Order: sequence, then structure tokens, then C-alpha cells
Amino acid sequence: MRFVACLLIVLITACSSKPQTEEVAVKAVCDLEYSRYQATVTGYCQEPRADLLASVPVINKSITIKPLEKIPEVFWFNKKMNFSLLKQDSVAPVIFVIAGTGAGYDSAKMINLQKNFYQQGYHVISLSSPTFANFIVNSNNTKYMPGNLAHDAKELYDVMELVWQQVQDEDEVEASSFAITGYSLGGAHSAFVSLLDEERKVFNFEKVLLINPPVSLYHSVSILDQYFDLRSNRHAAIAMFDEIFKRFSDGYSAQESSNFDQDSIFSLFKNANLTEAELKLLIGASFRMSSSDMIFALDTSFNSGAVTYKNHDIDKFESLTHSMQRVSDITFVNYFEGAMLPRAQLENANITKDELIHRYSLHAIEDYLKNSDKIHLVTNNDDIILAPGEVEYLQSVFTERAKIFPRGGHCGNMDRVSFVEHLNATFSQGVK
Amino acid sequence: MPALINQYAKAMCILLSCGLMACSAVPELEQDAVTPKVELPSDNELGLMSAYADPWEGFNRRMYYFNAKADQYVLLPVVSGYKKVTPDFVETGINNFFNNLGEIPTFINSLLQLKISVAGETLGRFALNSTIGLAGVFDVATPIGLVEQNEDFGQTLGYWGVNSGPYLVLPLLGPSSLRDATGLVFDSLAYQQAIDELGMKADEELFLSLLQSIDARASLPFRYYSSGSAFEYENLRLLYMKYREIQIAR
Repeated sequence: MRFVACLLIVLITACSSKPQTEEVAVKAVCDLEYSRYQATVTGYCQEPRADLLASVPVINKSITIKPLEKIPEVFWFNKKMNFSLLKQDSVAPVIFVIAGTGAGYDSAKMINLQKNFYQQGYHVISLSSPTFANFIVNSNNTKYMPGNLAHDAKELYDVMELVWQQVQDEDEVEASSFAITGYSLGGAHSAFVSLLDEERKVFNFEKVLLINPPVSLYHSVSILDQYFDLRSNRHAAIAMFDEIFKRFSDGYSAQESSNFDQDSIFSLFKNANLTEAELKLLIGASFRMSSSDMIFALDTSFNSGAVTYKNHDIDKFESLTHSMQRVSDITFVNYFEGAMLPRAQLENANITKDELIHRYSLHAIEDYLKNSDKIHLVTNNDDIILAPGEVEYLQSVFTERAKIFPRGGHCGNMDRVSFVEHLNATFSQGVK
Repeated sequence: MPALINQYAKAMCILLSCGLMACSAVPELEQDAVTPKVELPSDNELGLMSAYADPWEGFNRRMYYFNAKADQYVLLPVVSGYKKVTPDFVETGINNFFNNLGEIPTFINSLLQLKISVAGETLGRFALNSTIGLAGVFDVATPIGLVEQNEDFGQTLGYWGVNSGPYLVLPLLGPSSLRDATGLVFDSLAYQQAIDELGMKADEELFLSLLQSIDARASLPFRYYSSGSAFEYENLRLLYMKYREIQIAR
């Protein structure tokens, strides 16, 4: 079944959770034609990969946040919140790393970051995104929808306190200082958590790094929604999928070996010669898979009856196919308008959509970001989740604390040489 | 595997015949349950997502659950013990050894599909690795350009036009289909013949089978529910069926 993992690599893209294949000797660079979409899908493989450890001593851990009987039976495999720890031998700084939209603590991008910070001498604690099913079903929250950045930050902060207590008790981790980072949505979360920390002062973060964050959650998800538009263009999207499969299949037939490895995946991509629209479709579909998982988890936890039967306990052997098919149609913008806005209006009937869009963006904490010297930003000039003008906005807010690479798409260069060098430079002062 | 698989095949037949039709995956709704607000798209609107029917879903889901549990409580602990006690180069050697034996069904099936060059390459690999590679412990063929191929009887059946039949989750082995499960029985018979040639005692054969099972699991990075998705069963079903189509088209 190794093939399943390999095929997943081909199919599942962007910042969603990606399974790790066994490390193979990798050709330094690929010869794909560069585009911001290609870099987002396959990684910015035109630049050499950074020298990271092949394996690190990860301790997979879990913590009970919510009584087991309150977790829906259909999530029987998720009855604890999962996270991981990489532990240094002695006293060292601790860094919390937060995953992107719909990603778990052990997604491929998280593993790259973990290795990086571990190599720099940090104890690394990795948390799943508050939009990840395991986080949602283990959360006590029954009021706020994930994506509400200020509330997500509160939840993350609570979890971080519990987790920090646990690793001190069970693993005898000793901290000299604390830092926090995250990529994509996790980047925006880091900023809001840092703001909360100024008030609650448990960690007193010395350094905060936002990696490829959205400026406005709403703008970013609108962009990704458009890549995979089933409502107005269903038949074209489906036909395009078939076409992509066919070309990968033809390429696979033509290749010599029946094995998949890194090189053959790149060459499959090269031969498939995907158009911009096709790359966008893959990105959009991957994002839709993440948001589908999120919406399903919320629907069962909140008993809201959108894609599951309301007032019905789903048995662990029951077919979920109908829910998956229903949810496949729901865009993130639908979710925003159909779930986030009504929830917010329960609290405050006068709040408008525009106010909410502003609240769920970095604009809402702009003054803090401008004036706090410990907060750094790294992103790419051609990041697909940034709307026109947003790169300039980030530059103006973070000024000399911003590093903007010319290329890399969305999170495409996180394991590449120049990115990793920059990370080292930013954090080297943190390790004492 | 061979001795085990014969036992396994018998047990499976019994299990399948009583299990396939009996279990249901249809929701048992409470009286006050309300139909979901979002409508169900029709089949032709779903494309890929409804491309593969799953009439045995009730059985399959139970088996999937069983496999996840067996993995967690039995297979993975055994694998991690195995990895602890054996040095990496020994693991690689063992993995190569079993891959080399696996060339036999690949060779037969490529002949059955009239793929002469694939058969030739596989034969070349087998000959080289079995001799210079010391009974297959070293893979000397790959570096010189004789690359590994993958053919099985399920693919042979597919090549000659046999449809996949319903999706089927096999105990411990995981995703399959009626056609591929049938093919598996054939391949293990061919494999058994090869093992018989070695003239081993029964308990040696059993040891070999066990070692092969452990090696097979150890070389597979898949972990149940590591995707974290509630729809993992659906996603895996689609990937498996699609992947087999791609393999057969090869």
C-alpha cells in the first residue's frame, strides 16, 4: 500500500496535511517550468533543498482536554488531542509551532519546521490548527467557529498552557525562554496568540514569526474557493479532473520503473504539463478537502445539521459518503456567511459582514504588529493567498522585520536553502 | 506468507460469505433526526466522488475498523520491536530478499499480459540479484538500470478486461477489490511453489512467513487515521480504485 502514500503525494497539495514518503536520494533541483501555482503544488523545487536532518527523535503525545463521552463516536480515533515534542537534552528555549488551515501537528510542512528549530537548539512543541478535526472535536468550545482569530488564540493559549504543564511533568522539559511561529493560518494565529500573551503573560514570548500568513482570512479563502468552483462550473471541473488523471496515468505508463520516488513524481508532473487552470484546480480541491473535514467535524460537534443528520449520533460503522458528497459543494465563503456571521451576530446583532472580515484579519491588530519588535514576518512576493496590495501592506506594517522572497508561491519554499538560512538568521539570537 | 496465506484464504472465505451481505452502513436514524440542510448532489454531478460503488460498505467499514485496531495493538508494536532489534542494513537486506522473491509473480504476470520486455527485465533482475546479490539480499540490478516492476494477477485479469468488481477491504491486508483479492490467491499459489522449491521444514516456512509479514508492514509508511480525516475510508477507496486503473493501463 506504499502506492497509496505515493499517490497521495501526487494528488494532495498546498498547505494541507501531506504524508511523508521515505526519504530518497533527491536530485538537487527539478526542471519544471516555474509558476507561483507550480511552486505551491510541488514545492519550489527549482531551488535546492536545505540540509535538514533525515530523522529527529519525535515524541508523539496526546492530552485530554474534553471528557471522552462528549466526543462524537464517529471520531473514535480522535479521543485525545494530539501534539508532538522534540526535546533537547538540557535547558533550552521552547518554540510552539502552529499548523496551517486544516493541517495536523505532523503535516509535512510542520515536520520541516520541527527539524529546523530542533537543529537550532529549540525544544519544539507542535500543535494542530484549530481548524483541524482532531483539534475541533477535542475542544470544549461550542460557541465560536474556527477562523475567529481572536477566539482561536484563546483556545490555543489554553491548550498551550495545558501542554506546557504536561511536557514539564512527563518529559522534564526546562525552558530558558519561549517563542512561537506558524505557517499560513497558523502564522496569523501566532500573531493573535502573541497579543493575548501580552495580557496573560504566561510565556512572555521573546520571538514571534509569521510564515506566509493571510492578511485577511476572507480574502485568502475567497481566492482559494474560486480555484475550485463546483457551483457554477461543475461539469468543467469534473472533466478537468478526469483529464489530469488521464495525463498522469499516461505518464506513469510511459515511465520505466513502476516505482514512485521523488524524481519520478517531478517527471510525472513535467510530462503532465499542467495548465495554470489545472494547477489551480488541484490547489482548490486540496483546500476543499481540508475545509470539508473541518466542516464535518464542526457539524457533528455542534449538532448543526448542515451535512449530517441533526440529533443523530453517527455510528462508527455508518457510511459518511453522503456527508462527504454534500460538503464537497460548500465553499469557505459559504461557511463564512452561513456559520461564522450568524454566530457572531448572536453575540452582537449589529455586526456587519465587513466588520467581521476586518476583525478576522491582521488589520485588526495592525498597531500591535507595527510596534512590537519581536514579531517577524516571512512570505513570498507571489504567494497565491495574498490579494493585490497585501504584500505591500505587509511590507509597510513589518518594515525591516519583514523578509519577502521573490518566489515560492504559498509555502512552497519552506524546506529550501535560502528560506532555512533566513530562519536560522532570525532565530540564532534566540538560542543562548 | 505462503503457509499463512493458505490459512488466511480459508478463513477469509468463511468470513466473507457470512459477513458481506449481513452488515449495513445505512444510518439508523432516531425519531427526531432531521435531514441535512445541504442537498445531496446527484451522481452525475459528483463525477469521481461517486465513481465507485461500494455495495459491501457495511462489511468493509467494519473490516477497516478492525484493521485499524489490529494495526495499533498488534502489527505496529511488533514492527517497532523488529526495528529496534535489527540493524538498518539487516532490515534492508531482508526487504530486498522478499522483494526478490516477489519478482516471481511479477515475471509470470508480465508474461500473461504479453509484456515481454517487462518479463525480460524482471527475469534479469531475479537472475542477477539471486546470484551476485546473494539470494536477493543485495539489490545489484537497480543501480545498473534494471528497474523494479510491479505486476500481479489482479492486473493480469484487468488487462484481459475483467472489471474490478466491488471494493473490498481485506482483513489485515486492507484495500482490495473482488478481482484483486482473487488475483492475490493466484499469486500466493505461485509464490508457494517457489518456496516449496527451497525445501524448507514447516516451522522454517512459518518463520519465513512471519518475517515477510513484518517486513511488509515495516516498509509501508501508511498509518490509519493519520490523515485525521473522518472521510479517510472514502478517500482511500477512491485512491485505491483509481490507482489500480492506472496500474492496469500501464
